[in-house]
Amino acid sequence: MNRHLTKLVAALAFATLAMGAAACGSDLGGGGRDEEVTTAEAEGTASGELAISNWPFYIDKDTVPEFEQETGIKVDYTEDVNDNNEFFAKVQPDLQNGESGGASIYVVTDWMAQKMYDLGYLQDFDKEAIPNFEDNLVSNLESPAFDPERNYSAPWQSGMTGLIVNSEVAPDLTSIADIFDPEYEGEIEVLTELRDTVPLVMKSEGVDVENATTEDWLAAIDKLGEAVDSGQIVDFTGNDYTADLARGDVAAVIGWSGDAVQLQADDPNIEFVMPEEGCIQWSDNMVIPVGAPNPTAAYEWIDYVYEPENQAQITDYNYYVSPVDGVKEILEKQGSDAAKSNLVFPDEEYVANCSSQPNPPAEDEEEIEKAFQQVITG
Amino acid sequence: MTRSRRTPYFLLGPGLLWLLVFFAIPMAFMAYISLNSGSLSEGFEFNWEWQNFSDALTDYGTQFGRTFIYAGVATVLALLIAYPLAYAIAFKGGRWKTALLFVVVAPFFTTYLIRTLAWQTILADEGPFVAFLQGVGLVGQDSEVLDTPGSVILGLTYNFLPFMILPIYASLEAIDGRLVEAAKDLYASSKTAFLRVTLPLSMPGVIAGTLLTFIPAAGDYINADFLGGAGQQMIGNVIQNLYIEQRLYPAAAALSFVLMAVVLVFVLAYIRFAGSEALMGEEEERA
Repeated sequence: MNRHLTKLVAALAFATLAMGAAACGSDLGGGGRDEEVTTAEAEGTASGELAISNWPFYIDKDTVPEFEQETGIKVDYTEDVNDNNEFFAKVQPDLQNGESGGASIYVVTDWMAQKMYDLGYLQDFDKEAIPNFEDNLVSNLESPAFDPERNYSAPWQSGMTGLIVNSEVAPDLTSIADIFDPEYEGEIEVLTELRDTVPLVMKSEGVDVENATTEDWLAAIDKLGEAVDSGQIVDFTGNDYTADLARGDVAAVIGWSGDAVQLQADDPNIEFVMPEEGCIQWSDNMVIPVGAPNPTAAYEWIDYVYEPENQAQITDYNYYVSPVDGVKEILEKQGSDAAKSNLVFPDEEYVANCSSQPNPPAEDEEEIEKAFQQVITG
Repeated sequence: MTRSRRTPYFLLGPGLLWLLVFFAIPMAFMAYISLNSGSLSEGFEFNWEWQNFSDALTDYGTQFGRTFIYAGVATVLALLIAYPLAYAIAFKGGRWKTALLFVVVAPFFTTYLIRTLAWQTILADEGPFVAFLQGVGLVGQDSEVLDTPGSVILGLTYNFLPFMILPIYASLEAIDGRLVEAAKDLYASSKTAFLRVTLPLSMPGVIAGTLLTFIPAAGDYINADFLGGAGQQMIGNVIQNLYIEQRLYPAAAALSFVLMAVVLVFVLAYIRFAGSEALMGEEEERA
């Protein structure tokens, strides 16, 4: 190497280190924000623009345009939530700086709403701005453990995690225990969501999931690991299990209730099976992140979807459990099949064995999460 | 005089700047992250946490082994497919050469993601391809193709094949046909002429092709994600999982470094074994 080149390389290396160090000066962060939780204040009449992040297949085609027409608010509705963790990883750097990344409403599952709130990433509601929410929220969702006063979370839809089965291939598969039956080797997929998959396995072992210990969680994860090693469970998926079921690659999956109905439209053999052990119940919630622009428009939206007429239209499309009172009557009047479905309006008997989605014991959450992810990545 | 001495540096400038901004600085930042400890909820802290590196090796040894086997097998398969193909295009292509090369590159007009997803449909249990394999007895009646090591290796081979074909073609194309004629004039059989003239002269293309296939294949995660199942996850999937799902940024960064180091060692050993002249294409000129 000639002398000049050596010098150049040395200079380059130095510059790299210097600029790298400068880049590192900004802390990696984490640990949440220290500021007090603020309330997103509503101001005057809603107008302007509103960006919403929601899960796919959660809204019909008409609701957004109708809302825009009625209120004059321009809505940027994005279906960019596919997985709570993945979505969190995407928005977390903004949230940490007190920005929302442009959206004024996120829709996340109960535990993620709680996690974001605990990290100081969410704002409290200005409840006077959302009278319909106060009036029409169904009573059984009024005070969940993670947000007893419903100060920062408004359910978008609720649902059940259970089995989705191709009844032509596996007519006798009716319980979580059955997915470990060697008869279905290589025909099973389960969800990547820790709080869906593992509690169902614990249920099949007779564990009371809402009071499960770290050992219970780890034992269920071990059981899943063995099933992966033996080829019983072929994959862990998110919403993409719908494609694998539709193609006939798998006989049964642990999946979400509303998906089954949408799959049924293409293949009548695919159906939601309430596991003998019961199901896991959860809600996805609208939350207002810190730094959300135009909170007034966000309240207008929440209030709009809590109007039973508007809500009925959404529920009739996505077939999840509606959190709004009065929807059933409207759907009945319209003669919709949804009014008769146990998935949309489950009666008490149907969900008798179900549990609300549990969190792993807080002190061992990281250990449990790690063990589960290690099973997923084989 | 001074001006002419500085000119090369000015010419190098844009490239060096690019390298600095988009490679060197991100690398330095990643090195910094890899030595943090803590978690997202408790906060990260820089404290020379070398344990991240040893953990990366001990926790994910299986996936490392799997990654190098998959990438290695895919590279060998791609070579076996690419060499005859490139040879045919270069020497027998005639006026169809351009068209044939276009066909090799044509799949790139569709995105990588879509092409890989298409294989999901092709390899589906109920699909015609699997029915054919079952019919000829290559796979058992009840066994599956998707979510097996075979499907992941197939995906890797397919996706990186053009990177193997093009450099081999380029080096074959550059061979002076008179050298082969001369060999035959000296009573070499076709086989000998190939083995002693054509093959050695095409080695730079083979080396370049294997590196261009192996290196990205070792870091790939799309194929294992879409075509593999729970038992076929590669190191790229683990890094993605650590970063996105578990948000253990330091562990993900450390694992990325370990992957880079292992690939680098492998490549250096390979080049040393094959001879760097072969890569640069200088061997024959010197001889």
